[in-house]
Amino acid sequence: MKKNFHINGSVKELELSPNDTLLQTLRNNNFTEVKCGCNEGECGACTVLLENKAVNSCQVLSMSVQEKEITTVKGIGTLYQPHLVQTSFVEAGGDQCGFCSPGMALAAYSLLQENPNPSRDEILVALDGNLCRCTGYVKIIDAVELAARKIAAEIKETE
Amino acid sequence: MLHQNLEWYYPHTIEDAVKLISQQGVILHGGGTRILKTSSKSIKGLVHVGSLPLNFIHHTDGKTSIGSGSTYDDILRYAHKTNRLSLLAKALSEAASTPLRNRITIGGSLKDFPIWSSLYTPLLVLNAHLEIAGKKDEIISVRDYLEKGIIKSKHLITRVIVDDAPHVAGNVKRFSLIRFEYPVFTVAAALHGKKNVISEASVYITGVKGRFKHCKRAEKFLEGKSLTDEVIAEAGKYFSAKFVSDYRYSAEYKEHTANVFFTDLLIELKGGLQ
Amino acid sequence: MFKYVNQPIEKIDGMALVTGEEKYTDDFAYENMLYVSVLHSGYAHAKIVDIDDSEARKLHGVVEILHYKNVEQKLYTTAGQGYPEPSPYDTMLFGQTMRFVGDNVCAVAAESKAIADEALKKIKITYKVLKPILNLEKSEGSSIIIHKDDGAFPKIPVYYDAKNNIASKVEANVGDFDTAFKNSSRKIEHDFYCSYGAHCAIEPHGAVAHLDTRGRLVIISTTQVPFHVRRIVSFVADIPVSKIRVIKPRLGGGFGGKQEVLLEPIVALMTWRTKRPAKLIYSRREVFKSTRCRHEYKTKLAVGYEPNGTINALHLDALENAGGYGSHALTVLANAGSKTLPLLNKIPNLRFTGKGVYTNLPCGGAYRGYGATESYLGYGQVIDMVCEDCNLDVVEYYKKWSIKSGETSAIFQALGEGKEGVAMNIGSTSLHECLDEGAKLSHWYEKKKLYGAHSEFNKGKRLKRGIGMVALMQGSAIPEIDMASAYIKMNDDASFNLNVGATDLGTGSDTVLAQIASEVLDAPIENFIVYSSDTDFTPFDTGAYASSTTYLSGQAVKKCAEKIKEQILKVGAEILALSVDEVTIEDARVISKVNSKDEATFAEICQYALYQKNQFQIQASASHVSPKSPPPFAVHFIEIEVDTFTGIIKVLNYVATVDCGTPINPITAEGQVEGAIVNGLSYALFENYYFSPHGKMLNDTFGKYGVYTAYDIPPITVELIKSYEESGPFGAKSISEININGALPGIANAFYNATGKRLFNGPFTPESVLKVLNEKS
Repeated sequence: MKKNFHINGSVKELELSPNDTLLQTLRNNNFTEVKCGCNEGECGACTVLLENKAVNSCQVLSMSVQEKEITTVKGIGTLYQPHLVQTSFVEAGGDQCGFCSPGMALAAYSLLQENPNPSRDEILVALDGNLCRCTGYVKIIDAVELAARKIAAEIKETE
Repeated sequence: MLHQNLEWYYPHTIEDAVKLISQQGVILHGGGTRILKTSSKSIKGLVHVGSLPLNFIHHTDGKTSIGSGSTYDDILRYAHKTNRLSLLAKALSEAASTPLRNRITIGGSLKDFPIWSSLYTPLLVLNAHLEIAGKKDEIISVRDYLEKGIIKSKHLITRVIVDDAPHVAGNVKRFSLIRFEYPVFTVAAALHGKKNVISEASVYITGVKGRFKHCKRAEKFLEGKSLTDEVIAEAGKYFSAKFVSDYRYSAEYKEHTANVFFTDLLIELKGGLQ
Repeated sequence: MFKYVNQPIEKIDGMALVTGEEKYTDDFAYENMLYVSVLHSGYAHAKIVDIDDSEARKLHGVVEILHYKNVEQKLYTTAGQGYPEPSPYDTMLFGQTMRFVGDNVCAVAAESKAIADEALKKIKITYKVLKPILNLEKSEGSSIIIHKDDGAFPKIPVYYDAKNNIASKVEANVGDFDTAFKNSSRKIEHDFYCSYGAHCAIEPHGAVAHLDTRGRLVIISTTQVPFHVRRIVSFVADIPVSKIRVIKPRLGGGFGGKQEVLLEPIVALMTWRTKRPAKLIYSRREVFKSTRCRHEYKTKLAVGYEPNGTINALHLDALENAGGYGSHALTVLANAGSKTLPLLNKIPNLRFTGKGVYTNLPCGGAYRGYGATESYLGYGQVIDMVCEDCNLDVVEYYKKWSIKSGETSAIFQALGEGKEGVAMNIGSTSLHECLDEGAKLSHWYEKKKLYGAHSEFNKGKRLKRGIGMVALMQGSAIPEIDMASAYIKMNDDASFNLNVGATDLGTGSDTVLAQIASEVLDAPIENFIVYSSDTDFTPFDTGAYASSTTYLSGQAVKKCAEKIKEQILKVGAEILALSVDEVTIEDARVISKVNSKDEATFAEICQYALYQKNQFQIQASASHVSPKSPPPFAVHFIEIEVDTFTGIIKVLNYVATVDCGTPINPITAEGQVEGAIVNGLSYALFENYYFSPHGKMLNDTFGKYGVYTAYDIPPITVELIKSYEESGPFGAKSISEININGALPGIANAFYNATGKRLFNGPFTPESVLKVLNEKS
């Protein structure tokens, strides 16, 4: 069947089954930037934002979120106009295989939207649903701190 | 896997929702994170709780009412803003992970009580109550909900009610090695009293054989006493819990460690009763 | 000193990764594509008596079913290694005997995954259940023979004794261990244990196959070894190599788990037979149960030494659990000795013995560290035990007794990859500086003194602290066996296509190799268009394993770039009407050595060569085989806190000083260290496979297995301390494996410092630690 969803700022008609998870619906409709790492809500590779809150799309049933604003990593920035969270990941070296990166970037983005000056502990909590086996997290945490510093600088500039 | 031809319902009133779940194979859907783990083909329809007026948290007359559609994240934000529900917030802040806390509803979590759940422990020691819509709307204690087996029937929890606890020092501790892990057990205590003397103690542990235990012997020992080092050391002798061995830990180890955690919990509460 | 090498360049694919543009295997889909589901054995040991797929074939949407009745019963090895492989040919794609829970029974290709899964349920299988061997110590000589009548054989002439369940055996002797041990005044003998471990790469295994417009099979897969995949698929599916193209797209982590040819033959056969594209992506549970993992190891160390700390004799014995099939059983075993023993090369009498045995449990394969991780637990601890007994500082001990520049070890020659190794002398080492710097950064001396089981600090405390250290070595590529090659061509605008077979798993090798080419040609990295891991368009490379990409593939790139440089100089000289000796390269130009204003830009040079005079394509290729495997070195210092009431170990601080020669890219190099350290920590503290009494893995999800989150990591300090390896590109060695080896011995040594007791069995879970604490000494 086909239903309308709000994705990355626009309304899109997606093909889905009533028992689909949001991960399935998104990937089947070419939003392949949303990755599947475990399909059990344990790795965060499938993270999307629902009204700016990070969720595991593999644990969300599509038919329960038709009215909600869904954001994938392509909704926060693109290759041509990346968000500063994304450039921070690349700058700090928090991007090894990149499979966890879309989820991580969204988790960091969601945190910084609400809390532009997070403590280290707040960063760790915001990322606690996103597994990474490549980096050991060190440069991912560096990336989020770098993004926060950049945001602070931007705020200062506009003042 | 859920049924290919799943039927979805989006009721706007509690009555409609109650009527829907009285049907065979139709159940409530909150955040949805448990349904996918315990799903079966016998589920023919899902009643979406999100369209019901159950997403609220408010405080009146010394009681906080948490709508059953509130997520763990909603509760944590409320607790942070108002300084209420601190014991519940402490337990929920360590449960699951950020994306799951953004989705798990308190109603969904109550209905489905996996052995490792940390939600029940603080609710039990605080003697929280549930409002249930069903054959007749009633308010029952969480203790009765579990002990009388009401959890097994078909019903809709509309809200969780937690009394203000001005003279209560509460603490909850969970045993898990890493951040994202199903805790082995969770132990909680709420101590009522003034000027350091415990008038009433409430101690519960979850994750045990039978899912939860009301630690009456420990409670009785603590009542009438002050939390001194000697009392705390002695209290451990009145605390015991039976566990099931699993592939990670033996029952003996869990029993031993639960006792250590109980004592640690009390140590952290020293001086908490003013 | 260097312009592009040893610079923290951003990864060239970084932005595409974090914006979700890059494609991984599961992101590829084709019209008319079939979805494949595989049925895995629920029995640890069983023979399939009959398969009846008639009901399944009737199901609407089922297109093809593969099992022993319609798939050639051909033996091969799934190990992604050079040919002929040093692993036994003991595996069939769909055989009749199931040898572990997770083994392949059959596979269905259907119009949707749901239909494929449904079809699996309709296939009627009759099993004869056999008694399994579920304990590695009960394997050798058991009446249960795991590879009984299948004709399994070793592809190269090495010891192999399937009748006794021995998949591999290695022995190396230096001097006379028995006599020297007997005559030593002091002796230590102990057993150690390391558990099963899973790679937990966040991307699950997958493969997609389709036929191109000329009927050639194109396989896109999550592979670390595209060229081995091509060869092995050709063999298993009986399709000529010329008709197969293998492509590795972006890869979501490997760590050795994808150095195995598991899914590709299945999709290959499905596509070849149905003429339709076919996709197979494993679920996370299938990855845990049905792919490969770290071998379970029991090691024994015997050390004979003198009161002044001189070790006369050392014997390292290893018993390896190969699992149901012996892929990597020999080479991991050999590495358990070859990547440990040479570190203390002055021990005159050495013995290394090892056996890999078959069991009906999941199969070990390649996993970062590759045998070294399993043996450092014991090796790194006995050195600490000798020092404790002789009242010596371990750091100074390593300085005195470790292998130094110019020195060799008889083990290099004695232990290779299934055959004799390659003798070599150490060409580069900063191990001493690593020891000193690490001791400084971790406050080793101060803390070692402060802690200690009977110290004032720890006496009577519930929470005891300790600090421990270990020195490590590994290798860089497999000498005289592995080969890498590169191809470069130049374009009009001074850009270059750099095509390499080398496999970037996320390690950043595409970037690192571009940096090397940049350095040779003194042209910006943006000028290099890197294309990798496509068997049609990139020249051969054995693949990403054995810590070889920077060292081996990098040297091939350097040689190739130097050939390009020659051609550029020749054309530049021609344009400037000078001789080749009178010109040089600088900043993407050829300039006169006498007058630097006399110049021809790279763009001018290329356009001249392509269009104007004496036209030719500036292009070159080069290959490299290394005559040696220069070891990287590392020293890890770990500070811990032990809760003596619960047995929980908390890591307070982790310092790693690492010698990888020249770090071509310091940021990606540090990233390798940090990732390996965190994986080493979780492996040391809790990772394990828990089995049911019937050999079924019980903890087959991330939540039950346990993977650290960002919240769990301790403070980690990494310092790269340069040395210069002449045989490597711009002095580089390797870094990717070694740092996973420090946690087990380091924590064990710290535990001793804190409590006076030793941990011999990994993982150091709270219950096992509490047991040790409560043991009467």
